[in-house]
Amino acid sequence: MKISILRNSRGGRRASAAVALGAVLALTATACGDDGGNSAGGDGDEGNGKGKIVFWDNNGGVRTEIWKEVIADFEKANPDIDVQYVGIASTEYQSKVDTAIQGGGLPDVGGISASMLAGFAAQDALDTLDFRLAKSPLNGKLNKDMIESMRAAGGGDDKLYSIPTSANNGVLYYRTDLFEKAGLEEPTTWDRFYEAAEKLTNKGKNEFGYTIRGGAGSIAQALDAMYGQSGITSFWDSSGKRTTVNDAKNVEALEKYAGLFKKVTPAADLNNDFTKMVAQWDSGTIGMLNHNLGSYQDHVKALTADKFRGIPQPIGPGGKRVQVSNPVDGVGLFKSSKNKEAAWKFIEFATSAESSSKFNESAGQVPAHADAAKDEWISKAEPTKLAAEALSDGSTTIVQLPYYLPDWNTISKADNEPNFQKVLLGKMSAKEFLDTMAEQLNEAQAEWQEQMS
Amino acid sequence: MITKEAPPAAPAPARTTPEPPRPAKKRRAWDEAPRWQIYLPLGIYLVFTLIPFYWILLFALRPAGSTSLVPWPMTFVHFEKVWTDRSFGTFFYNSVLVGVATLVMTTLVALAGGYALARFDFKVKRAFMLALLCSQFVPGALLLVPLFEIFAELQMINSLGSVIIAETVFQLPLSIILISNFIKNVPYSLEEAAWVDGCNRFRAFRVVVLPLLRPGLIAVGSFAFVHSWNHFLFALMFLNNQEKQTIPVGLNTLMSADSVDLGALAAGGIIAAVPVVIVFAFIQKWLITGFSAGAVKG
Repeated sequence: MKISILRNSRGGRRASAAVALGAVLALTATACGDDGGNSAGGDGDEGNGKGKIVFWDNNGGVRTEIWKEVIADFEKANPDIDVQYVGIASTEYQSKVDTAIQGGGLPDVGGISASMLAGFAAQDALDTLDFRLAKSPLNGKLNKDMIESMRAAGGGDDKLYSIPTSANNGVLYYRTDLFEKAGLEEPTTWDRFYEAAEKLTNKGKNEFGYTIRGGAGSIAQALDAMYGQSGITSFWDSSGKRTTVNDAKNVEALEKYAGLFKKVTPAADLNNDFTKMVAQWDSGTIGMLNHNLGSYQDHVKALTADKFRGIPQPIGPGGKRVQVSNPVDGVGLFKSSKNKEAAWKFIEFATSAESSSKFNESAGQVPAHADAAKDEWISKAEPTKLAAEALSDGSTTIVQLPYYLPDWNTISKADNEPNFQKVLLGKMSAKEFLDTMAEQLNEAQAEWQEQMS
Repeated sequence: MITKEAPPAAPAPARTTPEPPRPAKKRRAWDEAPRWQIYLPLGIYLVFTLIPFYWILLFALRPAGSTSLVPWPMTFVHFEKVWTDRSFGTFFYNSVLVGVATLVMTTLVALAGGYALARFDFKVKRAFMLALLCSQFVPGALLLVPLFEIFAELQMINSLGSVIIAETVFQLPLSIILISNFIKNVPYSLEEAAWVDGCNRFRAFRVVVLPLLRPGLIAVGSFAFVHSWNHFLFALMFLNNQEKQTIPVGLNTLMSADSVDLGALAAGGIIAAVPVVIVFAFIQKWLITGFSAGAVKG
């Protein structure tokens, strides 16, 4: 009887199947919605200068503690404002912000470095800060070069979208103990650099003179070495339409630099990103490393400060040092913020002399605030001191990389890093590599100029 | 749109004559091979597999700056650092919550959906199966913005619920297909016998079918747990509060733009790997049985 009821209970079967499948479809449907309209939050609001603001750190993790300290100081000084800190890994920051621009949920304040500024500005996600800065006690106190660098990176409208906090700089780290043992002079010139790289190499004992960056981030380092040796001081020719990357002097410099691979460097350098490169230098027997101020504390922990020094890049032809620009870091105000007054108060506080000093001492970078740059800790952190001097005493010419080009990140990473590996392996000539990159850059520059006009 | 029930499996033909006894197997060449020919390649393979793990242990247990090839003097300072200073305790708790909730939701819904697919015929069944399979070809990253907007509308951004739902949704298609194959392997006559004994459909399923699905449930559940434990993208995008982040996102923040604490990174990696290793150690027998059983149609 029961069987016949169940077998004939078509409605019951339908109901159970419908419930089962309905549950599945309901959950699956959440993955199939359309993208709707742009809910990035519109033009936001000034707010009343009180309440909660959200801050996204663009280099979360290592800097979390110092940011939390700055935030605690701010909240003490502004008890009506509550800052929620969100630390995001630098590698994921851009994609998270891009998703929030499209889908909504942007913070009020975010870390905005020069390298990602053009993309965010192009999506109209950031508020201009010129008028706020003009009325602020910060006006005139921030490093002019860093301000200009931020303006230039903004996408060509000469507006300021990010208040600089700090500058990084390329550093040549070298092992003083190994140099002393080999009777070598400090690698302050490119000739001494090449000589030391060769003399410190003993492949049989797994000792190398230099570690080259062949993986992620290789292009900026190669450009730094190239312009440093060629002495060319501008990324574009006088017309502003053609890049100088494939100038004959740069081609020659790159050939010499890439020739170091496997001759005085480990073969594994082909895939070196900064993590592997720094780890290798800190734990092996390698004479020199090119990186920036950011890894100084890692070297101190691994080697102790008396075993190495970090100096600015070697001096090139005619006694002149030429370096490519490192992205200036800063904080920006997102247009969608509903509490811009409070957000700006936080930006002002975070870039003030006291906070700037505290933050940069921890990060080992050059402060943007002029008063913070005079603080005592700078003279104790040698690479930072030397970098600050090099950036301000006129001895160094900075070749400004075109961070303002929307295609810059693609050209300098996905498009050309594999080709640089081919150059290292001898499968592509330096000229061919630079000609290809120059063509892409010229095209991107032309497009950008057309958009601007 | 249910039209009819799937026909029960046809009974196996009765055997008429016993098979003649098989001749003793001839020993194959590799049975007589010297032991070293087996153990040497296995040993080499093991070395290649285990060296990276040893390297992680080494960095996690030796002091910062040490270049020793053995973790001595041993220190747990990196573990302390990531667990307390870098909030891995909180991340671990959140990951467990996401993993267990995804496991439970995926298994329950896959059981219901799998049963429907295995036991009922309906007009769009083939199309539905095809849609399930096709959904596997869509990468999660492609659906980030729509998912983000949906969860924002539901006020679920910054809630672990958004990650759990998204993980469940992406686990379901494969899980439903697997479970439905397992259920097809359970003879329909067993359920019918239970009905004869007075069970209704649900009770028959619970008492007769469910115990036989154990390998399949373990396979599907562990797969859902491990995938959600390791998955990075949804937690990164949907969670903004530090207190709600999961282990993979926490691991990512141990590498900054210019600096990396390798000791802390290795310690964090071990903390992230331990639950997965334990899960696999306990369930490997069931897992292998489960996957192989699900692969053969009854």
